[in-house]
Amino acid sequence: MTVPKLKLVKLKKMFDNGMVAAVDGIDLSIDAGETIALLGPSGCGKSTTLNMIVGLDEPTSGDIQIDGQSILQVPAGKRDVGLVFQDYAVFTSMTVRQNLAFGLQVRGISKTKIATAVEEIAELLDMTERLHVRAKDLGGSELQRVAIGRTLVTKPAILLLDEPLSNLEAAARLAMRRELRRLQKEIGLTIIYVTHDQVEALSLADRIAVMRAGKILQVEKTSVICDSPDHVFVAGFLGSPPMNLIRGRLECREEGVVMKSDTFALRLTKTPPVDHRLSENLFTMGIRAESLTIAPAETAPLIGTVLSSEPKGAEVVLTLKVDSTRLKMTVPSTAHLSEGETTGIGVDLDSLIFFDGDTNRRIDVTL
Amino acid sequence: MRTIIHKLTPSLFQSEVAIDLQDTPLPARTSGREGSKGGMGIAATGRFLMLPGQIVSLLVLVVPLIVALYMSFTDWSPTRGSLFDAQFVGFENYSELLIWDTRFLYAVIRTILISTVCLSLEFMLGLGLAVLFLREFRGKSILFSAFLSPMMILPVVVGYTFWMLFQSNGPINQTIAFLFGSEATIEWFRSAPFALLAVVVTEVWHWTPLFFLILLSGLNAVPENPIRAAVILGANPRQVFWRVILPMLKPVIIVAFIIRSMEIIKLFDEVFMLTRGGPGSSTETISLYIYKLAFNDFQLAYGAAAAFIVLVGSLLLVHLMLRPMRKQLLEVHR
Repeated sequence: MTVPKLKLVKLKKMFDNGMVAAVDGIDLSIDAGETIALLGPSGCGKSTTLNMIVGLDEPTSGDIQIDGQSILQVPAGKRDVGLVFQDYAVFTSMTVRQNLAFGLQVRGISKTKIATAVEEIAELLDMTERLHVRAKDLGGSELQRVAIGRTLVTKPAILLLDEPLSNLEAAARLAMRRELRRLQKEIGLTIIYVTHDQVEALSLADRIAVMRAGKILQVEKTSVICDSPDHVFVAGFLGSPPMNLIRGRLECREEGVVMKSDTFALRLTKTPPVDHRLSENLFTMGIRAESLTIAPAETAPLIGTVLSSEPKGAEVVLTLKVDSTRLKMTVPSTAHLSEGETTGIGVDLDSLIFFDGDTNRRIDVTL
Repeated sequence: MRTIIHKLTPSLFQSEVAIDLQDTPLPARTSGREGSKGGMGIAATGRFLMLPGQIVSLLVLVVPLIVALYMSFTDWSPTRGSLFDAQFVGFENYSELLIWDTRFLYAVIRTILISTVCLSLEFMLGLGLAVLFLREFRGKSILFSAFLSPMMILPVVVGYTFWMLFQSNGPINQTIAFLFGSEATIEWFRSAPFALLAVVVTEVWHWTPLFFLILLSGLNAVPENPIRAAVILGANPRQVFWRVILPMLKPVIIVAFIIRSMEIIKLFDEVFMLTRGGPGSSTETISLYIYKLAFNDFQLAYGAAAAFIVLVGSLLLVHLMLRPMRKQLLEVHR
């Protein structure tokens, strides 16, 4: 078994004299060359985690290891970890060249070596023409490139990116995302990417770690995380639109099992239930927007009224009202349903997933 | 008469102005004239309301300035009747000052020398103190007030206090004797170098707080992330300070120097109280020399010419100091 490049062990950070846990005992292993996204809403402890890895914040407890060695005693700047800030934090009083050279100059590297390294990195970032420009005259995406280049030039083993695209306008964001992916392939860096934008996470990362309130809820390969959420929060956070979540009880009768909340009922089986004790517990049921289809009203298990429709390329996301529960549903844009229309809704019963009503963790339910 | 005022006042100040302020949409405010409906626009109202202030400043600033400028081209002295009877001498006062008057020349050089030494010391001390005050420590707020207090004392009082401190058997000499065990006392005001040193010490004590205050607020406003970025890139505290923090502080430093140099060029009170320019004229600053010309020798015209030379000189100086950051200061922030 290979040693992970970076390993976080029960990492914890308390603020306000131990009253608030910004990061609450997280475990995470990242392999060399891997890109992992820390995804979560603002204030979930993503940035604090980065600050601890890079050495700006000291953990309250737990350990950070690089190549199997604890780095807690190593001061910031000597950890072989680079961090790109959300606001770039470029040195505005310097030129692009001085910015790029800074990390090498403070290490006392010879002038000729610095010059070559700066030329190389400028080439990589397509900034060769702009080396003499003062950083304060640069635009958003250029500042971003300087910030990344300034870090890359020191050849860190691990690169941490703190919401690097959130300050860019949409077009620049797309271009920068492509560029980051290219860099990642060319240099083969280990990258931790912090973001609250799932599209960024999904398009850049090999794996995604979803964080909430200082805890990592799930770490999973990008390709499967949307389809196999492990936690109610992940199910409700990922996907566009996210999964429909309905909290209620399973009514087990001889003529079948019905999922029932206060305002919603869906027959799941027509055969007697395998286990009658299921009705004792609370569940959250997840229905993907893609698992819902338009069906003839006479035979459909659910009837809903269209509240709004939101076109998304070849598809349309409909918001429907079923009794007083709202459901999101993805249909081809050829299906013409306008607001206020009533339609039958078909449900792909095999794709339903269940979460325990208490722990919010996913469970297998045999009906 | 009363009724007229009564009729005028509401229409002028209430109805029209109020309508203009409320009804004119924000972007239109810049073009005040168009915004008005027959009455005064915002711009015109603004000019009207500023009129009293402008008249006062015209009377107390511009008129005396013009009178003084005229005076500097005459040989007027208050003992010789009215200014308008005085003989017009052209640039005679100016050429006398610039070419022949070595006492004036030395006063200028001395003022520049004192300013350079004082400002350098004040800057270094102020910056050092400001850096110390970035950290949290016990009693910080009390010390903060204590360090700022010298600035609030009248220059005359500061001068008088230090005059007493520097007496030949005063506390400063006693401390020196105690520290070095020597009986010899320094006659501070009897030798030129010591008298200058006393002036510098007084001035530095009095005005370091201003540098401290300006630089501290500048340091507090320096964004944190570039500093953190530099630390992560491997810079040590010294490199972070010189290469990242200080360049970001540059505009603030320049402003502090401009404020202080405009002040110190006019250095008068402390020197007057400490040495009266002596011994001889070895601590005489420009202001002190001009004062003596005007009020000891009654050469008011000659003094006015000297004052104008200093005015032009200090304008040039400020202009030069502003040059590196003119663009930065006037640039609208994006």
